[in-house]
Amino acid sequence: MRNRVLALLAAAVILCVPVLMAQAPSGTKAFDPKAVDPETAIKAAAEAAKAAAAAAANWTPPRTAWGDPNLQGYWLTATYTPLQRPPELAGKAFYTEEEALAAFKKAVESDAEVDPRTVHYDWKEYGMDAWQSPVRPNRRTSLIFDPENGRLPALTPEAQKRQADGRAAARARNPQVGVQTLNNWYTRCITGNNAGPMTRGGNPGSDSAAGAAGVTAEAQIFQAPGYAVLIMQSNSDARIIPLDGRPHLPSNVRNWLGDSRGHWEGNTLVVETTNFIAPGTNFLGGTARTKLTERFALVGPNTLRYEFTLDDPATWAQPWSAETLIPRIDPPLYEFACHEQNYGLMNVVKGAQTREAEAEAKKK
Amino acid sequence: MELNPKYPMHNRIIRVMIAAAALVALSLAPTPAAAQAPAAGLFPAYTAPRAIDGKPNLNGIWQAFITANWDVEAHPAQPGPHPEIMGVWGAGPGGQSIVEGGVIPYKPEALAKKKENLEKRTAVKATNDPHRYDTGDPELQCYRPGVPRANYMPFPFQIFQTPSEILMVYEYKGAVRTIYMDPHREAPTDSWMGWSNGHWEGDTLVVDVTALNDHTWFDRAGNYHSDALHIVERYTPISPYHLKYEATIEDPTVFTRPWKISFPLYRRVEENVQLVEFNCVPFVEELMYAPLGLYKPPSR
Amino acid sequence: MRKQTVEVSSALVLMMVWLCAPVLVRAQAPSGTTTFKATVTDTETAIKEAAEEAKAAAAAASNWTPPRTPWGDPDLQGFYLSLSYTPLERPPELAGKAFYTEAEALAAFRKAVEEDAEVDPRTVHYDWKEYGMDAWQSPVRPNLRTSLVVDPPDGRIPALTPEAQKRRAAARERNPQVSVQTLDNLYTRCITGNQGPPRLPFNHDSESQILQTPGYVVLILQSNNDVRIIPLDGRPHLPQNVGLWLGDARGHWEGNTLVVETTNFHYQRNWRGSTDGMKLTERFTLVDPKTIRYEFTVGDPATWVRPWSVESVLPRIEPPLYEFACHEQNYGLMNVVKGAQAREAEAAARKK
Repeated sequence: MRNRVLALLAAAVILCVPVLMAQAPSGTKAFDPKAVDPETAIKAAAEAAKAAAAAAANWTPPRTAWGDPNLQGYWLTATYTPLQRPPELAGKAFYTEEEALAAFKKAVESDAEVDPRTVHYDWKEYGMDAWQSPVRPNRRTSLIFDPENGRLPALTPEAQKRQADGRAAARARNPQVGVQTLNNWYTRCITGNNAGPMTRGGNPGSDSAAGAAGVTAEAQIFQAPGYAVLIMQSNSDARIIPLDGRPHLPSNVRNWLGDSRGHWEGNTLVVETTNFIAPGTNFLGGTARTKLTERFALVGPNTLRYEFTLDDPATWAQPWSAETLIPRIDPPLYEFACHEQNYGLMNVVKGAQTREAEAEAKKK
Repeated sequence: MELNPKYPMHNRIIRVMIAAAALVALSLAPTPAAAQAPAAGLFPAYTAPRAIDGKPNLNGIWQAFITANWDVEAHPAQPGPHPEIMGVWGAGPGGQSIVEGGVIPYKPEALAKKKENLEKRTAVKATNDPHRYDTGDPELQCYRPGVPRANYMPFPFQIFQTPSEILMVYEYKGAVRTIYMDPHREAPTDSWMGWSNGHWEGDTLVVDVTALNDHTWFDRAGNYHSDALHIVERYTPISPYHLKYEATIEDPTVFTRPWKISFPLYRRVEENVQLVEFNCVPFVEELMYAPLGLYKPPSR
Repeated sequence: MRKQTVEVSSALVLMMVWLCAPVLVRAQAPSGTTTFKATVTDTETAIKEAAEEAKAAAAAASNWTPPRTPWGDPDLQGFYLSLSYTPLERPPELAGKAFYTEAEALAAFRKAVEEDAEVDPRTVHYDWKEYGMDAWQSPVRPNLRTSLVVDPPDGRIPALTPEAQKRRAAARERNPQVSVQTLDNLYTRCITGNQGPPRLPFNHDSESQILQTPGYVVLILQSNNDVRIIPLDGRPHLPQNVGLWLGDARGHWEGNTLVVETTNFHYQRNWRGSTDGMKLTERFTLVDPKTIRYEFTVGDPATWVRPWSVESVLPRIEPPLYEFACHEQNYGLMNVVKGAQAREAEAAARKK
C-alpha cells in the first residue's frame, strides 16, 4: 500500500509544461487557448505526471520564514476523476499507469468533442476545458476513498425523508420558478462553485458550469503568521483560517463559506469548518450542520495533496472522505465579479419561466 | 539552467525567474520583531500623558468599530428592514458579542419582551399623548441613544476634560453627557442620557450612571431595560491610540444578575478631524409625522 | 411681552417644576438650575435686585483682569444666561436715542417686567411665571441700550435684498398647506434650539455653558442641548458643500476676547430669512466676574443689504444645565400643526 501511495505521489509532481514556459507572466496562464490539440495535451500531461513522480523522490518540504510548512502558491483543482467510483469499476480503487492514462485520454477526448447541434459556445474556444490546463491523470478511480467502495455512504432515513419532503415543500412554498427557487448558490453568485470542498470531481463534457471539470478551478493559498487564507478563483471566495486555536463562532452566527479553524499536524494543515448557512451542491446533500475537515499537504515541489471529509449524521450514516492531487500553477488569480450584472442568472430564470409557461399551455 | 547567448528569450525567462525568486525571498523575509503587532488582548504597559487635571488625558475624538449597535450579542449579517428598497444600504453586518459570557441574562418574561421588541423594532407611532410610548427602536426616530449605546454608535464622539467635569459630545444627534467630577451632583429627574458622576481609580475613569429613563434600547435587536437601570463605566487608556471601555449593567427588573460589556475605543487621528454634525431630526419627520397627516412634502 | 402657551416638551417642564420647589433659594448648594425661581413672585423685589446687580457689575468691571486657564487662555468657563427685555430693534418712538439714562433704563425695565408678570386668565391657560420661568424670575438685568442692534446706528436691522423678498414669497407658494416642514420655526420642530447661532436673548431655555480645554471652546445651550465645538487651532472650515444646522465654528483669541467665526450654515436653516451664505462673527469677553459681553456681526449679501451687529450681556448663573430632550415625543409640534391645520380648514370652510 505504501509503495503504491509513494508511486502515486511521485507520479503527481509536475514541472512547468514546456508550452507555458515561454510566456512572461501576464495572466492566468493555467488555461491556454493555444492548446487546441487534445493529443498533445494528453502527452504533455503524461510526461508531467512522470516528471512529478521523479521530483518527489528526494525532496524536503520548504518552510515559511516563521517556520510553518509553506503551502503558498496557486493550485489547480480541476480533475477528470469522478467523485464516486463508477459501478463497472467496483472493487478497483486504483488504475495501473496505463489504465490511468487511457481513462484520462477518454475523458479528454470526450470533453474536447463538441456537438455543434446543441452547443453554441464551448469552453474549449476559450481554452477553458480542463485538458487545456495542467490537469493530470489520476491513478485513483474515484476521489472518494472512504468508504472503501468509493461511493457515498447511504443516506440516513431522516435524510431520505428530508430530501423528499424538502422538494415537495419547496414547490409548495414557491410554486413558480424564480431567483430564490434556484438552489444553486453559484448561479445566484452567492458563493462560488468551490465553496466548501474545493474539488468536486470531474464530469467530463458536462455543459453545466457547476459540473464541468475545469471551469474556474484555480485557488490560492496564502500564509501569514497565525493565518492561512484560501482564495478560490470561483466568485473570488476567500476563507480566512486562524491557526491560534480560538473557538468557532457561536452557533447562531453562520456564514456562506462557513467558519474555519486550522492547525498543523506535522506538515499537514488541518482545517475544520462549521457554521454553514446552507451548503451548496458540492456538499452532496449535507445539511447546514455538516462539518467539513480538509487536509492540505505538499507532497512534492509542485503537488499538493488535498483531502476532505464531510460529516453530517443527519445525512450520512458515516462521514466520507475524498482525496486528489493538485498541481501547482502560475499566478495570478483574477477578480471574479460574478454578481455584477449576473445576466446568466436572469437568462436561466427567464428560460425556466418560459418552459414553465409552455408546460402550462400544453396542459390546456 | 544557464544563460545561453543563443536563446535570448530563454535568457529573459531565466532572469525573470531569478528576479521572481528574489522577490519571493524578500517577501518571506521576517519582519523586525519590534514592528510586529502585539498578540490579541496584550499591550505593553502604558502610562497616558496627563491632562490639566493631573489625570490621564482623555481629550480627543474617539470611536468604536464594532457592530454592537445592530446587536450587542453575536449576530450574523442580515438583510435589514425593507431590503426591496434599501439593498445593501439597509443591511446589517455580522459581528461578535461584546457581552461577557456571550448572552444577556434576561429573566424569562423579559426575554419574551425582548423578542417582541425585535419583531416590532421598526414600528413608529408618534403620538401627542404623553402617557403613551409604544414605538420600536428609538434610534430609528432619531431619539437619544442613552448609555452605553451612545458609545458604540457608528459615529465618533469627542471628550473634553476639565477638573470639575468631563464632557462627552456625540456626533450622533449632538447628544451630550456631562460627567460631574468635582463636585458630584444629584440627578434632578430621569433623562435619556442619564446623569453621570465620575471619579478616578488609578488611571481608570469610573463613571456612575443613574436616572436613565426606560425609553432607550441597547441596540437595534430589541435588547432593552427599565428605568431601574444603573451603569458603571470604566475608561482606561491602553495605548496612545485606544481606550479600553467596560461597562457593568444592572437592572434587577429585567436581568437575573448584572452583566458586563467591553470593547476598545479608538482615537481618530486624521489631520483636522472633527465631528461633522449629524442632526437626524429632519431625516425622520416624514417617517414620524406623515402617518398623522402632519407632513406634507413641498409641491415642488 | 406677549403671553405664549407652553410649547415645550413635558420633560423640560417637569424638570423645571421639580427644581423650582420653594425649598430652593439662591444660597443653596447647586442642586438644580437655580437660575429660575418660582419663589420670586414679587416683581418689585426682582426689579430692585436686578438694578443692584447691574450697578455692582458696572463697578466690578472698572479694575478687573479676567483669570486664565492653566494653559494660559482667558478663562470664560461657567454658566451664562442669554435673556433681556431690551428689544432687538430700536422702537420708532426712540429713534435717535441709543442710550437711556440710568433712571430711564430702570423705568423701561420695570415696565417690561410688570407687563411680563401680568397674566390674562381669559387667554392664557399656563403662564411661564407659574414655573418660575418669566425672565424677571432670573438674573436678567436692565440695560442702558435702547436696542440690541448697535449697527446700523439707527438700531434697526437693514432691509432685505430684493432677492430675499422674492425667496420669501416663493416659499409660501411652494408650501401652500401648513404642515411640519412648512413651519418656519426650527425650534418647534426640535431641529435646533432657539439660540441661533447667533444668540438673541429673548427666549426661554436661555441658559448655556462655556467649557474650555486646550485648543477648544465648547458652547452648550440649554435649548435643545445644541452644542457648538469651536477649535482654536486655526484649521480651515469644512468645504463649502457641507452645511450644518449650527454652522461650522472656528475660534481665536484677540486679547481677552474670544472671536468665533461661523460659516457653512445649512441651506434650509433660513435664520431670519438668511441663506447658507450667512457669515457670523461673535465676540465673547468676560468684562467682570459675573458678566460676558456678547457681540455679534452677521452678514449675508443674499439677504440683507448690509451686515448688522448686536451687543448684549450674558450674566453668569449657577450650574448645571439639564438634558433638553426636545424631539423625543415632540407633541408640542404635533399640536401646533394640528391646530394650524384646523384653523386652515375653518378658514377654507368660511370661504364657501
